[in-house]
Parts: sequence; structure tokens; C-alpha cells
Amino acid sequence: MSGLKLRGIRKSFGAVEVLRGIDLDIEDKEFVVFVGPSGCGKSTLLRLIAGLETISGGELDIGDKRMNDVDPSRRGIAMVFQSYALYPHMTVRENMGFALRFAGVAKAEIDRQVTEAARILELEPLLNRRPKELSGGQRQRVAIGRAIVRHPQVFLFDEPLSNLDAELRVHMRIEIARLHKELATTIIYVTHDQVEAMTLADKIVVLRDGAIAQVGSPLKLYDDPDNLFVAGFIGSPKMNFLKGIVDGSVVRLPDHGNQTIPLVAKAAHGSEVTVGLRPEYFKAGGASQLDVTVEMVEHLGSESYAYARHGAGDVLTIATQNDRELKGGDKLSARFDPAKALLFDPAGQRIR
Amino acid sequence: MNALALARRPLVYVLLSVAAFVSVFPFYWMVVGATNKSADIVTGKPSLGDSLFANAATFFATVDVARIFWNSALIAVVGSLLTLAVSSLAGYGFEMFRSRFRERLFALMLLLLSIPFAALMVPLFVMISQAHLTNTYAAVILPGIASIFIIFYFRQATKAFPAELRDAARVDGLKEWQIFLYIYLPVMRSTYAAATIIVFMANWNNYLWPLIVLNTADMKTATLIISALTSAYTPDYGMILFGTVLATLPTLIIFFLLQRQFVEGLLGSVK
Ligand SMILES: Nc1ncnc2c1ncn2[C@@H]1O[C@H](COP(=O)(O)OP(=O)(O)OP(=O)(O)O)[C@@H](O)[C@H]1O
Ligand SMILES: [Mg+2]
Repeated sequence: MSGLKLRGIRKSFGAVEVLRGIDLDIEDKEFVVFVGPSGCGKSTLLRLIAGLETISGGELDIGDKRMNDVDPSRRGIAMVFQSYALYPHMTVRENMGFALRFAGVAKAEIDRQVTEAARILELEPLLNRRPKELSGGQRQRVAIGRAIVRHPQVFLFDEPLSNLDAELRVHMRIEIARLHKELATTIIYVTHDQVEAMTLADKIVVLRDGAIAQVGSPLKLYDDPDNLFVAGFIGSPKMNFLKGIVDGSVVRLPDHGNQTIPLVAKAAHGSEVTVGLRPEYFKAGGASQLDVTVEMVEHLGSESYAYARHGAGDVLTIATQNDRELKGGDKLSARFDPAKALLFDPAGQRIR
Repeated sequence: MNALALARRPLVYVLLSVAAFVSVFPFYWMVVGATNKSADIVTGKPSLGDSLFANAATFFATVDVARIFWNSALIAVVGSLLTLAVSSLAGYGFEMFRSRFRERLFALMLLLLSIPFAALMVPLFVMISQAHLTNTYAAVILPGIASIFIIFYFRQATKAFPAELRDAARVDGLKEWQIFLYIYLPVMRSTYAAATIIVFMANWNNYLWPLIVLNTADMKTATLIISALTSAYTPDYGMILFGTVLATLPTLIIFFLLQRQFVEGLLGSVK
């Protein structure tokens, strides 16, 4: 069993509280991704789990054992760092076997483990090279190899792909997904790349200012966000937010010529709400419509994004499928299904 | 190119030539002098002579060469090793470990750098004699071990040492001292090479302090004994310069052995 249980985890650096009470359960063999804006405490949380920083408050269990004060090497974790942190004076082979050497494992056994990890990661031809003789992608694989060799219960990754170019990132992303299947261990992965989070995760943890904004499967967060922050953070291009005022059984959109859409959730008459509409919610045949003027169009080939507004209102992003002729200045009646619209109260909480 | 720039170029060369002459000439004079008779040196003869072996013979007859070079070597090697060990640990510690008082302590230490050695000499001597260490190797070596300059040098160099390497080593199960020994030390070897040259030269050439704490001939270093030769009634300059050449060799050898890393070390060691 190698699930994790975090209860009220806090961390302060001096007077600054960086993590403000994190409660989280991570199942055995789960792939969990921490996302959030820069400085929200993702790395700090990961380092607390690794034991590289001391926990200021709360309780951390790994595999049913309290780990608050256990040495990093005895927590059953392995970590892959953003800068790879390979030992520059050692060969790939020595780098990968180093932890085992210090754990007192016999030489033959170390060799066997290193060879096995090298096979999984296709590193065999590189075993006798030094890190500086490797490409970025190869270094990344060695860093993962070094982690694999220790047979950890939990892998920790801190933005492992952010130093790679776009093409290699996609390749390594698939590689990591494959590894997760092959190794069948728990993985905690920090990133601020949406695509990595959406494609890799069983469960995404969205952090904001040292607290959890929402936890859930990628599609759950995408389709059913708890608050404005998560709704805006997950998904690219971003969800459109429209100011609305509840007017009986409809929501009036003052910035969009007082056009109305049916109210889909419970909200008091006259209260202010924010209406969330993802760009791809706009589809022909929807029951509601917004009349807008196109300002600019981005054609990506498979789809196009129109940036449009009504009068002086906010710019909306609208995904259109086959409108290759669409251009700036065109009038558009953007139709959508009002049942899909998300409503948020003035505090940013979802109204269901 | 304007006239000013044109005129500046020869001027630069003249200045560089003067600087080169000033720094190279003493070496030239020393080597040439070692091959000449004292009488010729006094008259300023600038060319190689034929008295090298005569000078060598006199030098070996006058001075217990093995003894003084042994003293010098022991002090320089042990002193350098201890200085590097203690001061690099301190520099590493200052940079790697957070503490509330770290910066204040470090600033205080740098402040101490401005106290001239002459002002510390008397209290240091009192300490050494109260510890009954006068006229021992330890008396020469101990005061220099915690070198503020080397601590500063290592702290600066450690800024380039990736903190994630230490984290990785901690996850790999290394204790702090093992991280220092197995990761930091090999990674920073060019910094160590540069520091070795600086520290070895300082120890080997050290004059004032050994002069004060060493008082019997069998303990004295090459630097002390050779410079004492000049105070004879009629100094034999040929012999003295031969001794000087001999005493310069170890530093030269160390320098050429570590030269490549030295330059790297000054440029920053971790890439
Ligand atoms: N050692 C430290 N001392 C003081 N403050 C720190 C320390 N480490 C992190 N912090 C602060 O804690 C906050 C969270 O940092 P953290 O590195 O966890 O953010 P992050 O979510 O990983 O950001 P990024 O996406 O930029 O990596 C930041 O405000 C940072 O300044
Ligand atoms: Mg981070």
C-alpha cells in the first residue's frame, strides 16, 4: 500500500505562510498532478512530501506510516528534479546506481538494477557517458532512471519537462504515461502545462495561494469546476466570463446589449452572477444566441477561434468549426445551449 | 579610426611592455644571478655565467637543504590541506544553510579581514606560547587554517553549486558530510585547484609569522633560512639566488600542475 494522506499540512518560511492547510488523499498507483499559478506552493508541497523541507504543521502519511520526521531516503520516494540534478562527475551508470551503493546493496545487484532501468528507458548505449555528453532528453531519462532504480513507492516529479523543447516534451510525456503503466506506482507530478496535466493525470489538484482550489479528475475539473478560479485556470483558450444579472427566470447580460439567457440554477432575483461559457460551447443549433461583431479570427487549421464582442462589451472567444471565410468585421449570431452555461456567485463560487 | 585611437595603440603597447618587464625582470635576474659569482652580480652583469655548480655547492655546504625544505614542505602541505578543509567547509556552510544570523556573521567576518596581521601578531603569539606551542609546526600552521579570504572565495563559488544536487543526494540517502565529500568536493574541484595554488603559495612563502614562532635552526623554513643569508657580513649573492631559485620551484610545479583548473576555477567551476 503506498497511498498518501495529507492532513492540514502547513508550511511557513519565517513569517510567510506558503501552504495554508492542505488536506488530500492520494490512492495507491494514482497519477496525481499539482497545477496552479507560479508561486502558489506546488514545489513546496512536493518538497514537504519528499522530506526536503520540514513540515510546519499537519500530518503526512505515506503508505499508512506517519512520515513527518522521516529522512527523505527512508520515505520510499524518489524525485526527478526540474534541472535533472545529475551528478556531473559520474557516468550515467554511476549516477543511476549511486543511491543503491549508499544503501549497501551488493555490486552485482546494483548492476542488475541499473541494466534493467537502462533497458526500460533505452539508455544502454549511454551508460558510460557523463551527463554533459548527453542531450536534454537523454539527461531527463537518466534522471528518471535514477529514480526507477530505487524502486520507490511514490515518484515525485517537479516540472520535469519544462527544460525540453516542444517536440521532446510531447515525446517524454507519452514516455512518462507509459512508465506509469509499466511500473504501477504512485506518481505525483508538478507542472504548469495544462496539456500535461489533462493528459497524464488520474486526478488533478489545483492549488491557489497555498490552498487547494479543487481536486478531481481532469474532465470533472473541466466540465464541472467548483469556482471561477478553476474554471478560468483549466482549459485553453480560457472560458469566457460574462457579467450577468438575475432577472426572474432569465439572466440579463448588461455588457452584451441586455440579451438574456434562461436561468439554469437557483439564484435570487436581482443578484449579480458571472456566466461562464467555454469557447466550444458555441455551436449551431443552440437554443440561445449572442449577437456579436467579430474583431479578429485565428485559423488553426482544424478549428478557428473568433474574438468577438457586442458593442463595447468584453471580448468573447468563440470556437467555430468550418468558418474558414470568417473575418474581422463580420456579424455573428453565436448560438449555444444555455443548459451548459456555468453560473458563479460574486465570491467566485459555483451556483449549481 | 581617428587620430586619438591611432596614437593610443602604441601607447598601450609601451605600457604593457613596461608592465611585462617589471614583472618578468626579477625572475630573469634571479635565474641569471644563480649562475654568476657574487662579484659579477654586484656589478650588474646581466648575462648567464658559469658559476651555477659552484653556487650550488656553496649553498649545499652552508645550509641543511634537506632539513629546511622538509620543514617548508611539511608546513605548506599540511597547512594547505587543513586550510582548504576548514575554510571550504565554512564557505559551503555559509552558502548552503539558512540561519537568522548568517549574513550578520558573514559581514562581521569580512570586517575582520581589514585588521592587519601586524595587529594580531602579539595576541596570537601570547596564545601560542600559553598553549606551549612555540617552535612547533603547529604554531605556524594553526593561525592560518580559518582563512577569511578562502571562506569568502568558497562561499562565492558555492553560489554556482546547484542546490538541487544536494536535494538529490539527500533523497539518495547521503548524510550532510557525505554530500560534502562525495558530491560537493568533486564537483567543485577547479575551485579547489585555484584555492590550492593561493593557499600553498601563502604557506610556502610565509615569512613574518614563522620568523616569530620558530626559533631553532632545525625548525626553520627555507624562506627564513635563505633570507637570513643576506644578513651575512659579505653576502654571497650567487649562492643566495641559487637558493631562491630552488625555493621557487615547488610553487611553480604546483602552479603548472593545476594551471588549467586554476583558470577554470577563477571563471566559475560548475557549468
Ligand atoms: N526556501 C524558501 N524560503 C522562503 N520562501 C520560499 C522558499 N521556497 C519557496 N518560497 C516561497 O514560497 C512560495 C511558493 O513557492 P513554490 O516554489 O512552492 O511555488 P511553485 O508553485 O512551485 O511556483 P513555480 O510554478 O514558479 O515553480 C513562493 O512565494 C516562494 O517565494
Ligand atoms: Mg516550482
